[in-house]
Amino acid sequence: MKTQHDGETLHISDILELSAANSRAFRDQVNAALPAALKTIEIDLSQTSFVDSCGLGALIAVYKAAAGRDGGIILRLLNPTPPVQQLFELTRLHHLFEIARR
Amino acid sequence: MTASFPKTARAVTFELALECNLDAVRSAVVAVRQFLAEQGLPEDELTACEIALVEACNNAIQYAPVHRHGEPVEIKAICNGAKLELQVTDHTPGFDWPEAAALPDPTCERGRGLFLIQTLMQPVRYFRGGTGNTLVMRRGRTRQGYHHSTLGPEGLAQTTETAERLRDSERVITDMAKELCVRSESLSAIFRCSAELGRSNDLKEFSERLLNDLLHITSSDWFVLRLVSGSDTCLEVFAASEPFSVPLPPALHLDTPAANPGAVEWQAASQRREIRFDLEHPLAGADPLTSLGRNSSGLVCPLFLHDRLIGTLAVGRDLSDAERLSAREAEVVRTFAGFLAIQCVNAQLQEDHVNGRLIARELEIARNIQRALLPKSFPCVRGFSLCGFLQSARQVGGDLYDVLPVSDDALLLIVADVMGHGVPAAMFAAILRSLVRVLPEWTHQPSALLSKMNRMLYDDLSEVEMFITAQLAFVDIRQRVLTAASAGHCPLLLASASQPAVRTVSPEGMPLGILRNPAFTDETVPLGKGARLLLYTDGLTELRDGQGQCFGQQRLMRWLASAVARRLPADAMKTELAASLEQFQPLDPLPDDQTFLILAEDNSGS
Repeated sequence: MKTQHDGETLHISDILELSAANSRAFRDQVNAALPAALKTIEIDLSQTSFVDSCGLGALIAVYKAAAGRDGGIILRLLNPTPPVQQLFELTRLHHLFEIARR
Repeated sequence: MTASFPKTARAVTFELALECNLDAVRSAVVAVRQFLAEQGLPEDELTACEIALVEACNNAIQYAPVHRHGEPVEIKAICNGAKLELQVTDHTPGFDWPEAAALPDPTCERGRGLFLIQTLMQPVRYFRGGTGNTLVMRRGRTRQGYHHSTLGPEGLAQTTETAERLRDSERVITDMAKELCVRSESLSAIFRCSAELGRSNDLKEFSERLLNDLLHITSSDWFVLRLVSGSDTCLEVFAASEPFSVPLPPALHLDTPAANPGAVEWQAASQRREIRFDLEHPLAGADPLTSLGRNSSGLVCPLFLHDRLIGTLAVGRDLSDAERLSAREAEVVRTFAGFLAIQCVNAQLQEDHVNGRLIARELEIARNIQRALLPKSFPCVRGFSLCGFLQSARQVGGDLYDVLPVSDDALLLIVADVMGHGVPAAMFAAILRSLVRVLPEWTHQPSALLSKMNRMLYDDLSEVEMFITAQLAFVDIRQRVLTAASAGHCPLLLASASQPAVRTVSPEGMPLGILRNPAFTDETVPLGKGARLLLYTDGLTELRDGQGQCFGQQRLMRWLASAVARRLPADAMKTELAASLEQFQPLDPLPDDQTFLILAEDNSGS
């Protein structure tokens, strides 16, 4: 996993999977990387071949942490792979998350 | 991780043991995915299986108790042309599989695993067992997923296919039967035991068998069934699982809370609610149930029928090998408790009914004895007529009347009342009747007869604390005298045309069976012309009307005077007196036997 801080945006990428085994570490890492004057978090899911319910939980945790910040940080999920997109739809979380393709 | 690839052409199985560690899940599932891909599953199905399997494995690992972390999670994938099945065997305490898991609130971080499994796989069954639980997830394969690696000739292929389907159906049926078994086991146990109860009528044995079934069904280790007894304040152990500490735990007294500090059974009974106990809410040190296992988890259900507390049922399991009872197991315990309550009450009713029948039977026997003792016909004495009357009370007493011919011109009249009821009283009446008959040499001397009888009956009567009052009257027609003796009995009434004033004859004497050697006296009175003689028991004089007024001796005397004046024969007197008694107290049943004996001189002789 890579994290890249670009002014007001935190960019997270190269996530191979997000599951019970690593979801806690993911959540801790993201929380630790949140700088003060952040406007946006972008999580690139293009490399993510697998997400399970714990992985979803971790994304929700990040979403809640971001929304809870003063002024609110936008969480954007980028380019999820088809199985992960399916999972979002199955669990109706595509209504919660902002999902972008670019 | 171990894997095996059976080289079967059709149903292909892949088995794998997964170490109880979340980090190991991913690679194991990837291996299963690889296997499924080899069977020709399309990408979307592979993804569905992968997610479902990961969720199942995560649960199996996350909920495994620490002491079972050494046991692997077992994964099995079975794939044929039409279907695939994934099995995950866990070593958790198991949980209640929801019929349909719902999605949580979108911002909730947990609670999507079962939803995903149920959405992606269909059907899904969770089989709970003693050593492990198996989650069986199935999925029908889409048409393009067909993959025949080794197709034989078409006919053979069809036969194999049919055989395969048959085997598959059989497996489905077996699984369904297994599941039905779990659900219906409680019901069948109940039905089986009910049938046995009908045969054996032994509530204790029945309860033990039923509750042992309950232990089996709920994987519990012990039970204690208490029933309320002793004026509804005492909970006594009725049945308990073996082996139980010897002796049985003491009865719990519902009205003395201080005597049962913290006893959950007492709490459940007095607070009329279910009480659970487990590691977080352990049994108190002084709780009698701790003798079954201090570290137990379980449930105490109060047993009710309608609002009446019948008892308590405590069921527990040793925490060393399992966790607390699940909601469904608790429900099964509840069902059994409710069922037992009904059965206990039924058994009680049954017993009461049998006792009632016994009492009714005993009364019938006593009544039959009493009837059999009465004379079928009276001896003929020239110029006189005789009539007797005996009306039994509901609780048959020992009233008796008898007439013995002493000679052509002499009779012995007897009216007696055995103090007591039922068969014993009737038996003494029978003995008394026999004694009079075996002592003919004394019949002309009633006091001596009473002395003899008292001597012979005293030991038996005093042993059962009963006594007999009796009135004996020896009537000599030729001499026209009457000699009477009484053993504590009510007076004899006598009147005649020549002496119309009613005379009470009541010689001194104790009832039979009170003193060993009491003195009896004879009283001899002349028998006037047109004499009417009435011997009776106190059931007549002590009869009360609706206002509590006694029938009384005066009323009898007035009636006798009137009967003498009207020259009524004995049978007419009997009819009239019986009618007037009935009119006085028309209640049924009678409080006491009513007995009387009438001797009347015919009008021709007067």
